[in-house]
Amino acid sequence: MIRKTQFIIFFMVLLCLLVSGCGSQKTSQNEWDGTLKISLRADPPRLDPCYSAAVVDRFVFQGLFDKLVDLDSTGKIVPMLAESWDISSDGLVYTLHLRHDVKFHDGTDFNADAVVFNINEGRKKESNRKSELTFVNDVKALNDDTVQITLKKPFSPFMSVLTDRAGMIRSPEAVKKYGVDFARHPVGTGPFVFVDRLKGDSITLEKNPNYWGKGDKAPKAQRIIYKIIEDPNIALVNLKSGQIDFADYLPFNQIESYKTDPVFTVSDEPTLGFSGFYLNIKKDTFADTRVRKAIELLIDRDAIVKVALSGVATPGRTAYAPMSFAWTDFDKPHKPDIAQARQLLQEAGKDQGLSFSICTDTNPINGTLVQMLQKMMRDGGIDMQIEKYDFGTLLAKGKKGSFDALMVSWSGRIDPDQNIYTWLYSDSSNNYCKYNNPEFDQILDEARVSLDMDKRKALYSQASEILDRDIPYVFLYHAHNLYGMRRDVKGYVPSPDGMVKPVSMYKSTD
Amino acid sequence: MRNLVFRLVSAIPVLILVSVMVFSLLHLLPGDPATAILGNEASPEAIAALNEKLGMNKPIIVQYGDWVYNLFHGNLGNSMVDNTPVTKLIAQRLPATLELTVGAFVVAIIIALPSGILSAARPGTWIDHVCTFISMLGMSIPHFWLGMMMILFFAVKLGLLPASGYVSLTQDPVANMEAMIMPMIATGFRQSAVLMRMVRSSMLDVMNADYIRTAVAKGLSERAVLVGQALRNAMIPVVTTSGLLIASLLGGLVITETIFSIPGFGKLMIDSVFRRDFTTVQGSILIVAVFVIIVNIIVDVLYTFIDPRIKLDKEDK
Repeated sequence: MIRKTQFIIFFMVLLCLLVSGCGSQKTSQNEWDGTLKISLRADPPRLDPCYSAAVVDRFVFQGLFDKLVDLDSTGKIVPMLAESWDISSDGLVYTLHLRHDVKFHDGTDFNADAVVFNINEGRKKESNRKSELTFVNDVKALNDDTVQITLKKPFSPFMSVLTDRAGMIRSPEAVKKYGVDFARHPVGTGPFVFVDRLKGDSITLEKNPNYWGKGDKAPKAQRIIYKIIEDPNIALVNLKSGQIDFADYLPFNQIESYKTDPVFTVSDEPTLGFSGFYLNIKKDTFADTRVRKAIELLIDRDAIVKVALSGVATPGRTAYAPMSFAWTDFDKPHKPDIAQARQLLQEAGKDQGLSFSICTDTNPINGTLVQMLQKMMRDGGIDMQIEKYDFGTLLAKGKKGSFDALMVSWSGRIDPDQNIYTWLYSDSSNNYCKYNNPEFDQILDEARVSLDMDKRKALYSQASEILDRDIPYVFLYHAHNLYGMRRDVKGYVPSPDGMVKPVSMYKSTD
Repeated sequence: MRNLVFRLVSAIPVLILVSVMVFSLLHLLPGDPATAILGNEASPEAIAALNEKLGMNKPIIVQYGDWVYNLFHGNLGNSMVDNTPVTKLIAQRLPATLELTVGAFVVAIIIALPSGILSAARPGTWIDHVCTFISMLGMSIPHFWLGMMMILFFAVKLGLLPASGYVSLTQDPVANMEAMIMPMIATGFRQSAVLMRMVRSSMLDVMNADYIRTAVAKGLSERAVLVGQALRNAMIPVVTTSGLLIASLLGGLVITETIFSIPGFGKLMIDSVFRRDFTTVQGSILIVAVFVIIVNIIVDVLYTFIDPRIKLDKEDK
């Protein structure tokens, strides 16, 4: 029996020695080993640009896949796999001139046939890119380096579409070889090659030794490890302790302390997206426009951004964020007008006993936000109930239309059409509230075929005014990304679409 | 031995029942796999196509039948999210959680046994009060808070241990221990609270027995009485509680796994439910059910070692 106690003590002492002895070696990191560790707020469901749906997928794609064209830091469309392009004067024919020094990670050649293959795959009905490529009539290879895409109708957002997943070129050989399993063996032309993945934990990429980008465009890191860290507080402690070098998500409410932190800095970046909630027009409660407008008039967007989001967002009342070319001053929200709201409710005969429920997800920020909304509604004599659901259920309710009000947000795209069409055009896939306004539809249709940017801007302004009158969706704010990086991380360039591009990033104590 | 075989065979109806229940509950959840997987950007055609491909349009009985058929061929199916074989997913994520379960339990025993025995040996004294207080702390302090505090102190402030970064035991035992020691302690501390109370009360019960008084009268040292005689007889309720604790850990470590960024099994299950990845959920729950059954069988076998009067088989008189 003495032996047992002694053994236990001995074991514990051994454990302590083991732990403390090894721990101290971690902290000395003078030489960078070439590994950059970036945290992701969710596990990318599918690493296949053709079928991908999540924003986090796009993060990993920045290293693996090149696109036909890219966005520079000002939002301008610049060459990538396509060196140059011509658009016919009627806006129907796009001719892309491709680079000819590019190979896929599996050694096969990148050429016009590969582009044709990918675009045709994207047009198939199972593809998640179908709606983005719906205007494509025909695509063919004129020669090894030239692709011609013919559209059914002029479609102004087309080049912007090619800066994202629809323009990411996968190796046709790999797609044919792996089929549905391509997502587990992604092969592109990007600066990094896929190595390994532990679901729910990490994704490892390695430098592509044969990357076509040279000098500034060549990848600097030897290895990128994407670590899945869902909770922003946990991402924060990992960033502080050096377990990760770059965090894609930090708690907003501690932003003041980040500004003076010795080991890391933050980048508060506006996105192109919008956040808010739908009002179900099919319900009697919301059938009257005056009721919907009254609800909107009760909301103090500045307070919401200040309190629920700790100032890390831009209040707004249209679909267009300040970075979009369609943005105008109109987006700046007005102060709440409780008197006017009450009057509208009275005119609509709903000033007594109006009640509805709002469905939201389990994100704590939304939790605070809806509580603030509840108070604001109460000031107008409206009783608002809060219902929380997991994201899958929330989407299902949205699609079925079984809700009064539903909070849903959009990460945003560079072209204004892609921030509004599928959301509010009659019968489109994300139009959960079933908004149906022919005048509005016509404006959107006209705007997407016009190639005149000024005309488009004017049309989108008109659309915003209609939405502000009809309020099928209450726009609240334009989200920001709050990225954190250790002070020795260099070469990070913010991108208007919020993507973190690892090719230029490296670590240095200089 | 005959009883053991009987126990294993009677586990089969349990597993069938569990699988039917899980299957039904999953299909009662609002939302379908395709929408959950493809998100709110997907076109209705893409969603319909994926649902068709995943077999969601077949009658439920047929879907269940397909799954059972595959099961008998050693195939748990493929994840609906990206087609990874479920067996591979589970094999990747199970070791970390198993290790955490065992480690947390060891920590719990290291804390609970000595403090429980001491408390029982000196009831009402300051030792008893201190041990009981520690046990109260263990029950009251949320283990996720404790985990976060440990990370802040040991990883961020002192830099002694990593805040995350699981490495498998076979790959690098030292790095593995560094990453796992904090979650094991955070979880184990909470478990030790329940165990300690069990040890203490069980020992106190036993201490009043005649044979203990005899042993003391015979002149045995206190340690010999406590550990040699009393403890062994007090172990039955403790072993039962331990079995229940361990069985609950396999799926119950989700929060610990999240805080310490451990790619564990509990998290796999929760994430799969949110993603409506039916096949992964079904396969995982089956594994949990098997695990619980095995743990219970081991507990029963242990009883016979602790108390020879307990037999597994019914004896002919």
